[in-house]
Amino acid sequence: MFFPKAMTEIELIVPSKDLLAVTRVLSGYGVFHQTDSNNYAGVATGSASTWQEQAAAYSMLERRLQTVLQALGIDEGQPPLADFDAMVDLEKMRPLVEQIEEDVKQSSDHLTSERKHLEQLESTLHQLEPVADINLDISSLRNSRYLYSLIGVIPAANVDRLQTSLARVPNVFLTLRSDLAKPVVWLAGTKANSDVLERAARSAYLDPLSLPDGYSGTPAKIIESLRKTIEETQQKISELKVILAKFAESRKQELRNLLWQAHTSRVLSDAIVRYGQLRHTYVVTGWVTLADMESLTQRLKQASKEILIETTPTSRSGHQPNVPVALVTNRWLRPIQMLVGQYGHPSYGELDPTLLMAFTFPFLFGAMFGDLGQGLVLLILGILIDNKIIMKGMQGLGLLIAYCGASAAFFGYLYGSIFGFEGHLIEEYLHFHFEPTWFSPLENILGILSIAIDTGIVILILGFLLSMFNNIRSRDWAHLLFGHSGVVAFAFYLSFLALLGEFLGDTAIAPKVAVAINSLPLPFPALAGIFALLVMFSGFFRNVVEGHRPLIEGTGVGGIAMFLVQSFMDIFETVISMLSNTLSFVRVGAFAVAHGGLSLAIFSLAGEKPDLGFWITILIGNIFIIGFEGLIVGIQTMRLHYYEILGKFFHGGGMRFEPLTLTPSTEEG
Amino acid sequence: MAASGVSGYAAISARVRAMYSSLLSPQDLAKLSDSPDFSSLIGQLKNTVYAPYLEDLKDKELTPGRVDSKIKGRLADFYYSVIHMSPEHARPIIKQLYRYFEVQNLKAVLRGIVTDPSWERVHNVLFPMGTMTVLPAQAMVEAGNVSAAVELLQGTMYYETLSFAMKRYSAEQSLFPLEVALDLYYWRQLWQEAKKLQGQDRDQALRIVGSLMDMNNLMWVIRYRVYHQLSEEELINYTLPFGYHVRDADVRAIAAGADLAAVVGRVYPGIPDVNMLLEEPRSGLPQLEQQLKRHVMKQCLAAFTGNPFHIGLPLAFLVLGDLEIQDLTVLIEAKSSQMSDEEFRPYLIRSVAA
Repeated sequence: MFFPKAMTEIELIVPSKDLLAVTRVLSGYGVFHQTDSNNYAGVATGSASTWQEQAAAYSMLERRLQTVLQALGIDEGQPPLADFDAMVDLEKMRPLVEQIEEDVKQSSDHLTSERKHLEQLESTLHQLEPVADINLDISSLRNSRYLYSLIGVIPAANVDRLQTSLARVPNVFLTLRSDLAKPVVWLAGTKANSDVLERAARSAYLDPLSLPDGYSGTPAKIIESLRKTIEETQQKISELKVILAKFAESRKQELRNLLWQAHTSRVLSDAIVRYGQLRHTYVVTGWVTLADMESLTQRLKQASKEILIETTPTSRSGHQPNVPVALVTNRWLRPIQMLVGQYGHPSYGELDPTLLMAFTFPFLFGAMFGDLGQGLVLLILGILIDNKIIMKGMQGLGLLIAYCGASAAFFGYLYGSIFGFEGHLIEEYLHFHFEPTWFSPLENILGILSIAIDTGIVILILGFLLSMFNNIRSRDWAHLLFGHSGVVAFAFYLSFLALLGEFLGDTAIAPKVAVAINSLPLPFPALAGIFALLVMFSGFFRNVVEGHRPLIEGTGVGGIAMFLVQSFMDIFETVISMLSNTLSFVRVGAFAVAHGGLSLAIFSLAGEKPDLGFWITILIGNIFIIGFEGLIVGIQTMRLHYYEILGKFFHGGGMRFEPLTLTPSTEEG
Repeated sequence: MAASGVSGYAAISARVRAMYSSLLSPQDLAKLSDSPDFSSLIGQLKNTVYAPYLEDLKDKELTPGRVDSKIKGRLADFYYSVIHMSPEHARPIIKQLYRYFEVQNLKAVLRGIVTDPSWERVHNVLFPMGTMTVLPAQAMVEAGNVSAAVELLQGTMYYETLSFAMKRYSAEQSLFPLEVALDLYYWRQLWQEAKKLQGQDRDQALRIVGSLMDMNNLMWVIRYRVYHQLSEEELINYTLPFGYHVRDADVRAIAAGADLAAVVGRVYPGIPDVNMLLEEPRSGLPQLEQQLKRHVMKQCLAAFTGNPFHIGLPLAFLVLGDLEIQDLTVLIEAKSSQMSDEEFRPYLIRSVAA
C-alpha cells in the first residue's frame, strides 16, 4: 500500500521448439513487462534480424488489411472469440491478402479515380458558374492581346493578402463567388504587368482555372456539358459502391479474422525480436509483479516442459531506475492517485505518497473549510458525482469531494459551525443548541494561526523524515546526509525552529512545537551556526561523500570566490524557504478564520429579521461559499501538497509497468 | 470574470508553477555548458530532471540525435499535463500551440520522402507527440512520394492547405511552397485561437503568441529577401499581416526594400547593435534571431508576475520549456562537434556565465 507493487525480475531460457507457446503465454495475460534481451551475455549480434523481418512483414500485412477494411468501410470489430495459438504462416497469408487486395483494388481504384474526376469537374463548374452569363469564348480571355486575366480558386485566408501585395500594381480584382474555404476570384491587369501579377497569384496559392480536355466555347455551353458529365460520373460511383458493399458483406468476417491473426502474429514476433537467441534456445527477460509470478510460472511450465525459469525478487532498497512500477490500484484512492500522478509517477522503492495524501488532503481541506452543514452538502455532492448522477464529466473527482466534505463536516463539528451559523445565531435562528466541541476560529484567531503553523511544522518534519527514509532505502548516503531534505538540513531546521520559539517566546502566535524544541537543554544558537555552515557547503560535502571530483567547480581564486558566493546564496535560500515553508501553513488557520468571516458577511447582508429575504440570502450565500470558497480552499490544499509536502520527499520519475498484451485496447491502457 | 478566471485556472496555475520550478536553474545550465565533452554533458544531464528521459538509452544509442529526440519527451509531457489540466475554453489555443511540433514533423516527413524515404531515419527526427497527432507519419513515409503522402492526410486540418500547395509542388518540384503554406496556416490558426479568447486571457495570449509570431514573421521576411531574393509581392504573400509588435506596415516596408536595420531598430528599440548585426545579414541574422528569442523569453517570464489566473501562465511556461530544449540542443550539438565556448555560447538563449 505504501509502495508500488513488489516486482520480480524473470529470466527464461526457452527451447526453440516452445518459442511460440511461451510467447503466447507471456503476451496473453497482460502481466509480463518485457525488456530487451539482445544485450544478454552470449547472445549473437544480429540474431534477431530474421524475426525483425518477420515482424516487419506482419506489420505490413496488418496495415494492408487495415487499408482494405477502410476501403470497404468495415470497422475492425472486437477481437474474435477464437484463440489463435500460433502465428500465421506468412507464405499462406500473403497471397490471400494479395488476392483480396486485388479484388478490392480494381473497384476501389476505379472509385477513387472517379471521385477525383468528379471533384475536378465540380471545381471547374464552381469556378465557371459566376461567369455563366458572359457571352464570350472562354479561350479568348486567355489569349487576349493587351489583357492579362486569370480566373481561379484561392484559399480564403489569402485573398486580402493577395490584394495587399498588388497595391502598387494597376489591377482589377473581383471575388466572383464568396466561399468559406475556396472563393472564386478574377484577377486582371495589363499584359505588361503579367509577370508581377502571375508571381503574386502564384505566391498566394491562386489555382487558375484549367478546363478538362474537350471543353470549349462560352461558359454557359461548358457548364451544360460539365453537368451532364457530372451526372454520369455520379452514376458510375454509385455502381462501384454497390459492388464494394457486396464484397464487404460477403468477406467481412474473414477480413476481421485475418486482421486479428496478423495483429497477433505481429505482437508475438515483435516480442520475439527482443529475445536473445542462443544456439538452441532463447533468453527472455522482463518483469512480473510478485503477485502474478506463481500463476505465470505454472502457465509457462504447461507451455514448455523444458523451460528454465529464474526469478530474482527485486529489493526495494537502492536506486532502481530500470524497474517498472505497477501501482496498487484501489477504487477508493483513485482520485488521490490522480493528484499524485499529476505530480509524478513514483519510482520503484520510493514511498508512494498516495496513502499519506489521502489523509493530509482532506485533513487540511477540512481544517480550512470547517462547517458541518456545508461539509455534508459537499459529501452528498461528491457521492452523487461519483455515481454519475450529476456532473458526469467530473466523476473522477467525486470521491475526493466526498472525502473533503466529510472532513469539513468533522471540523465544522469541532468549530461549532453549521451553514455559517455559529454560537448564539444557532439558537436564535435554528432553535437548537450547538456548541463548538473544540473552539471557534473566529473567537481565537491567534490560537488557530498558531495551531496551523504547528500542524505545518509537524507535516514538514514528517516530510524530512520520509525523505531520509527514501534516501536510506535508495542508499543515497550523500543526499541522506547533505541533501536539501537530509539529516543536516533537518538538524538545521530544528535549530531554526528553536530560535523561532525563542524569538516568539510566550506570545499567542508562538508555535508550540518550536517552543517545545527550544525548551530542550541544547545550545541551539551554536548548533544553528554549525548546521548553517554544513548546509552552506552541502554541495561540497556531497561531492566528498560521492567521491565526485572536482570538489569545487571552477579553478583558481575566481572559482573559489564563485563557490563562496553560491554557498552563501544556498544558505540564504535555505533559510528563506524554511521560513516560508513553515509560515505557508498559516493559510490553514487564516482560511478557517476567513470562512467564518465570510459567513458573517452574508449575515450582515441578510439582515436580522428571519423573513423570506433573509433565508434566500443565507441560501445564496451558502451556495457561494460552497462553490467559490470551496474551490479556493481546494486550490490552497493542492498548493500546500505540491509545494510544501510532496517536494520534500517525493521525486517521481518512475518507469510505468507496461505489460505485453494481445488486445489493442489493453495495449494502449 | 475574475471568479471564472480563478476557478478555471486555479489548478493549472498551481501545477504550472510547480513544473516551472523544475526548469533548469542557471547553475544547472552553467554546469551543462561547462561539460568538457559530449559524454560529460550526458553525464550531467542524467543528474537533472532529464534523467528519466535518458535512462532507457543504451550507451551505443547515445548519439546527439537520439539524445535530442529523447529530451523533447519532457516538453511533450509538459504539453500533455497542461492540455489535460486546462479549462475547456483554453484548450484549443494550447493544442494549436502544440501543433507547431506536428507541423515540424509533417515538414520532416515530407523532406524525408524527398531525400531518404527510410522510416527509421525520419522517425528519429520527429518530435515525440505520442497519440496527440493526426499524422500517419510511417504510412506517409512508406507511401514513397509526396503526392500519395498528402492524400493520406485527407480528413485532417492540413489537407486543404496542402492540396492547394500541391499544385505548385507538382509544377516546381520543390517543398518550399508546401512548407510556406503550412507555416502560414499554422500561425493564422494560432492567431485566430488567441483572438477567440476574452478579457485578460486574450491580452495575455496575444502578447505571448504575438511575440512568437513577430519573431517568425520578421525572420521570414528578412530571410526571404536576403537569401531567396523574392519579389515584394511574394514577400507580402508569404508573411502574416498581424502580430504584437511587428505591424503589417513594417513587413511591407521590408518587402518594399526599406533599410532592415532601421525597421528592426524601430520595432525593437531594446535590441542592441542592430545596425552592426544587419550590416552583414548572412552572419548577423542568426544572432538577431537569438535576440528575438530572448525578447520572447522576457515576455514569457513577465507572465509569471501579477495575477496568475489566466492563459498567459501555461502558454508562457510551455514556450519557456521549448526554449530550454532549444538551449540543450545547442549544447548537445556544440559538445558533440567539440565547439569552443566562444563559438556556441552566443547561440544559447539563456545567458550563461563563462
